Amino acid sequence: MSDTTMVPKSPRENVTPRSSSSRHFRRYWQLYVMMLLPLCHFLLFKYAPLIGNVLAFRRYRPGMGAYGSEWVGWAYFERFLQDPAFWRAFNNTLILSFGNILINFPIPIIFALLLFEIRSKRFRKFVQTISYMPRFISTVVVIAILGELLSPSSGLLNRVLGSLFGMDPIYFVNEPQYFRPIYIFTEAWQYTGWTAIIYLAAITGVNREMFEAAEIDGASRFQKVIYVTIPSIMSTIMVMLILNVGSLLSLGFEKVLLLYTPSNAMVSDIIDTLVYRTGLMNQNYSYATAIGLFSGVIGVILVSSTNWLSKKMSGESIY
Amino acid sequence: MNKQRKYRPLTIGDVLINAFMVLVVLICFVPFLYMLALSLSSPEAIINNKVSLFPVGLNFEAYHQIFTYPNFFKAYGNTIFYTAGGTLISLFMSALFAYAMSKRFLKGHKLVMMLIVFSMFFSGGLIPTYLLISDLNLTGTPWAMLLPFALNQFNLIILINFFRAIPAEIEEAAIIDGLNYFGILQRVILPLSTPALATIGLYTAVFFWNDWFNGLIYLNTQQYPVMLFLRNIVNGTAMVGDGAGAADKSTIAMSIKSAVIITSTLPIIILYPLLQRFFVAGLTVGSVKG
Repeated sequence: MSDTTMVPKSPRENVTPRSSSSRHFRRYWQLYVMMLLPLCHFLLFKYAPLIGNVLAFRRYRPGMGAYGSEWVGWAYFERFLQDPAFWRAFNNTLILSFGNILINFPIPIIFALLLFEIRSKRFRKFVQTISYMPRFISTVVVIAILGELLSPSSGLLNRVLGSLFGMDPIYFVNEPQYFRPIYIFTEAWQYTGWTAIIYLAAITGVNREMFEAAEIDGASRFQKVIYVTIPSIMSTIMVMLILNVGSLLSLGFEKVLLLYTPSNAMVSDIIDTLVYRTGLMNQNYSYATAIGLFSGVIGVILVSSTNWLSKKMSGESIY
Repeated sequence: MNKQRKYRPLTIGDVLINAFMVLVVLICFVPFLYMLALSLSSPEAIINNKVSLFPVGLNFEAYHQIFTYPNFFKAYGNTIFYTAGGTLISLFMSALFAYAMSKRFLKGHKLVMMLIVFSMFFSGGLIPTYLLISDLNLTGTPWAMLLPFALNQFNLIILINFFRAIPAEIEEAAIIDGLNYFGILQRVILPLSTPALATIGLYTAVFFWNDWFNGLIYLNTQQYPVMLFLRNIVNGTAMVGDGAGAADKSTIAMSIKSAVIITSTLPIIILYPLLQRFFVAGLTVGSVKG
């Protein structure tokens, strides 16, 4: 069997490379038993909801079970495609995501490149440890801290702005024009150090001799980064880009939900919050499922096309 | 001395980079210092905007308040329970699944691997998941917090890769010594896997500790985790500073909010530096080579 020849080193495999099916199961049944419970759990909690998406094509009636209702075809899709609230959420999602990728994709790369340039090993470790601390903090805490820092009456930022520039206090959290910058900035604050770990690992793996050769050729520090380091970590950068584009439509939903106020709704209502409000708060289950399914399908299309493009252009892909 | 030979003079570039990094450290750290200062300051100092990075008029009233507030203790206890229970269940399920999946010769191995990877990019969505949980009658029970998250695809892949890297000879020796696969997993593989288990254990624990949204949609007030308690204070849906007069309420609310932030975040901040030598390796194995 091709399976068995692939891994000649697994225990006992080399003794009888061509075992029959029944011998295979007699020998390895324990491994299959181990897999049983987790696999059932996996199918129940990851795949049953996936199938539950048929609800988008059926009319949900309470008490009739999730799937025991009548077929309505594409009716819910047609409805939300004509719903201005959907298009507003769709636009907000795209703007917020693109803005976020544009700014927060390069930042960890730059941060990792700079970290690598720190001479003192101990200082570098220290900076790293502190920089990924925010990753471990709950979104609730991040937003709560933000609320206190940005508070118009007592927040640290307004006090600093007031005493340095004599500015009037700004109610940052409530003003629509500050919503996107706040979102993007807190994302940078939370995840820069964490994401940089991956790039830093890639940079550390670059062959030392390449740096030495570049040095002999008279490359400056900056030139070494541009001509040696960045090309060497390009594959990591591409993989991360694909993953980022794939999750374009699934923003940090919880953060947006926490930052949402009626006064910034014009910019802060995204697809996920729309699904949450129509689905769970107004119990419009089928309609919300249709919207959710739509954005999920777009996400899959995005990730597979980016993956395909990347495979064509740089030979890098995630599957 | 060795050090002398390695010495190169600091260039302007070095100075700039180091200065920038000091700034980064400050940006990451100052918000916590501010919260700590607020939680420890007197109401007068807060009202007059005197507090910046250090407590003014040292005062433990906020901590005294939240520790005598029954709901806070309840919520904190709930969070500890969800975190401990969730992490244990998750490690148990993941170890079993990943160990079997680390054997490429098992039939159906490829299919299951595909199922895992596909579900990373296409998930069930909020509403179908919500309806599933309520159809299973998990709503309003702690199981709604624990069960749905017992398996995480990224953690699984980290663990599978880790198990695969363990030399097969060790297992062969164990088989010759008469151990079956359950015995091998328990007595050979798991003890060798502490770094990987610590990594995904930390990820999982952080997830459960910080979760509030699932508590919001699945649980009732008595079962709320501490992050949801905090969110309700921030939202103004929960009352704080009951004993105080109306004028004092907002300043007390501020220091209480800060005290809740500090107490609910401290365990994680203490935990992660201890485990960081593990998770740095875990992250790079798990996400890039996925």
